[in-house]
Amino acid sequence: MSSRDSRASGRRRRLLAAGPSPLALIVLGAAVGLLLCAYTNALSREGGDPTQIVYWAGVLLIVVPIAARISMEDVSLRERFALVALFGLSLYAVKVIRDPFLFTFPDEPIHAYNANQAILHHGLFNGNPILPVTSGYPGLASATSALISLSGLSSFTAGVILIGLARLLLVLSLFVLFTRVSGSHRLAGLAVVIYAGSSNFLYWGVQYSYESLSLPLLVAVLAAFAEREAAGPKLVRSWAVPIVLGTMAVVVTHHLTSYALVIVLVLLAVIYRLARSPKPNPWPFALFTAVLAGGWMVIAANNTVDYLDPVFSGAVTSIWNTVFGDSQARGLFESASTDLVYTTPFVARLITLGAVGLLLLGFLAGIREVWARRENKPFVWLFCLGAAGFFATLALRFAPEAWETGNRAAMYLFIGLAFVVAYAALRLIRKGPRLMLRRAALLASIAVVVIGGAIAGWPWDSQLAQPTRITAGGVEIESEPITLARWIGAQLPGRKFAAADADARMILAPGGAQAKTGEALSIKTILEENSLLNWELPSLRGNGLGYLVADRRKVSTDPGRGSFFYVPGSPKHALRPPATMHKFGEVPLGRTYDSGNLVVFDLRSRP
Amino acid sequence: MRGHRDLKWVCVAAVVAAVVAALVPWDVVRLLAALPLAVFLPGYAITVAAFGPQRLDPQRLAMLTLLCGLSLLCLGGIVLNFLPGGIRTVTWALLLILVVIAAARAAALRRGRPDGRLSGWTRPRLRGVDVACLVLAAVVVVGTLVFAYTPLPASKAVGYTALWMLPAKNAADPALKVGVISAEQGRQHYRLEVRIGENGKPKRYHLALDPGEERVVRVPVNVPAGKKRHVVVSLYDSERPHELYRRVTTWTAGSQPGEG
Repeated sequence: MSSRDSRASGRRRRLLAAGPSPLALIVLGAAVGLLLCAYTNALSREGGDPTQIVYWAGVLLIVVPIAARISMEDVSLRERFALVALFGLSLYAVKVIRDPFLFTFPDEPIHAYNANQAILHHGLFNGNPILPVTSGYPGLASATSALISLSGLSSFTAGVILIGLARLLLVLSLFVLFTRVSGSHRLAGLAVVIYAGSSNFLYWGVQYSYESLSLPLLVAVLAAFAEREAAGPKLVRSWAVPIVLGTMAVVVTHHLTSYALVIVLVLLAVIYRLARSPKPNPWPFALFTAVLAGGWMVIAANNTVDYLDPVFSGAVTSIWNTVFGDSQARGLFESASTDLVYTTPFVARLITLGAVGLLLLGFLAGIREVWARRENKPFVWLFCLGAAGFFATLALRFAPEAWETGNRAAMYLFIGLAFVVAYAALRLIRKGPRLMLRRAALLASIAVVVIGGAIAGWPWDSQLAQPTRITAGGVEIESEPITLARWIGAQLPGRKFAAADADARMILAPGGAQAKTGEALSIKTILEENSLLNWELPSLRGNGLGYLVADRRKVSTDPGRGSFFYVPGSPKHALRPPATMHKFGEVPLGRTYDSGNLVVFDLRSRP
Repeated sequence: MRGHRDLKWVCVAAVVAAVVAALVPWDVVRLLAALPLAVFLPGYAITVAAFGPQRLDPQRLAMLTLLCGLSLLCLGGIVLNFLPGGIRTVTWALLLILVVIAAARAAALRRGRPDGRLSGWTRPRLRGVDVACLVLAAVVVVGTLVFAYTPLPASKAVGYTALWMLPAKNAADPALKVGVISAEQGRQHYRLEVRIGENGKPKRYHLALDPGEERVVRVPVNVPAGKKRHVVVSLYDSERPHELYRRVTTWTAGSQPGEG
């Protein structure tokens, strides 16, 4: 090196030393990224149609600098840990600022209702009119009730804080797990960032729902399990405490997660056996979890089978019918809601397909790397199996009734995929020529994977916030379904309603009343048809329902889109024929509430 | 717990947090007490009880604190559900204090005498420029949250008006409550017509409501005993005075003698 080069290098080092640390700059970048996301969401809430480029730029301002720093070699364990925590919390904040006023994701009001009922009745297991199975898994309601009781906050605020803690637990546990299994905190950090490419990471996985809490608990149990395997004999018992506690929490929080934990532990037991691992076989933990999950299902949540059976049998039938041409394959990137179909722009589709392609490449290269390193740890085998399973679930997206099963399973399988792909990522940025170029390629790939995952997991038209609460004349007003829900909460608390999916959820929370919806008691048919059959209204009355909410908005059957203000020109705001509303006047029934699109009929008010 | 400063602090903090959470009326202050009491203190206490004399590195300690804390919250409600009192502020606070003190005691017993070793934690060294950067980031985040949580005008969103009718409770005479809620974008004028019975003379009310305003009108209903009358309430928007805007209806029965 010439003296001029060395002087320049020295100057650069002094400049860097005088400036802020990379971590501080990254924190600032993430804050600015959040600001961009909030700005785009605000424009969208105003009823405009802002370009999503600014929003995605905000997301990338969080993801890319963290990915860049975390993939560097000379970063301390502590800094990487802090980066992982920052990563998880910042991306969670993206969801929080999208829905700052109330829960609008499909499952959220259902669980908020459970938490509110726990406070109201000073106990759990109070039943749920829309999703009865949730009442049998009260872990989330229990945890939320603690925060509500101790802080006096609403179930919304307590839920947002709780899911934030769960998200923090998820990323920290993934980091600890990956570090323990790979022996490299650099690889672990990268794997956590890649995990954000899971289609449910940005939105679905952080809605206020039982799975958003149980999945982090599962990962933490696995991390504790991996630690236990590596610990000396003195600490084996110590690690058993969090494993048992976490397993019990998973079992009382979510059915599928507890079964997933059983499957993982059984698989590990089999792998230990096949690999002739010198460590004690984990079958006692698998048995313990299976007994606990089975026992809980029998004793406390005996409607679980009734709930899961149609989901899985429907998925199997759908796969069969799609494969043998009896039914049409589901179109990718199409979100069919009622009779409206929402499509995704070409570029967004391209990014998502690119993400899948990159993940496949990463998977193949990662498997090769694992093979080359002769990795024979049981967890590595497990992750490789999970990664392969992820691509199998992609096929389920073509079957109309099975895509959701595939989408949900992917949340678990992506853990393995992220780990395997991280091997490939590390290989890509190994020392050698054109390192800068390879690093840039890696960061670009991570950006595509994260954005592609988010697009695959949540409909394009729902990525940004919609108006639920706005100001007019300096005063706050809320959308039609929310105003109705609050009116019911104030005037008709504790009454029972039949309503379309979106309205029913709002009636549960924030309304606080009971509502049935969907196929239950043929409510969906009754609301959508143009004339009534003789048995329909007596059937509702006979089942204890006092009121019926008729909604002319087609979007009312879509719980993810049906709670917002009407914005003209949007395909979301098509109306049903007037006959769907007039048929109730012909019966006739008393009309208790009328806000234009929504009318509440009193089923007991008759001539 | 003598000599184990961390355990002593955890117990004291749990008691103080419980008192604040139970007695202080301000939600923000209660939250600042509730979060450590509900998650971090029990999580930490259970973790150190499980590991006894073994010191954990910050990564594992943080993960286990969260895991144990959240797990306890998931399970604690089920325990309280079957205990007298059920789920209440006091029962949650007592349960959590109990867990923290019991776990801290177990940790102290397992640790034995303090060995005088310093904690593995070292405070990160921050330079002025880093602090400035972090403060700026905090300002941006707080600004972002304030911005996100502030409802904004949405001129394209279409406002609406809701009309409702319910029997008035606790009224000496039978009556109906009729309410009009304006969620329109501007001040709106309405004409409200209440007609009792097919041939009843309509009562008219003229209302002007600002956005977000609600007006409730009490309408006496004089229906002879044993008779039922059809009550129709119609709302007209002053901009289209002849076009029905909203309508609610009911059938109201006359009260029997002796009925209040």
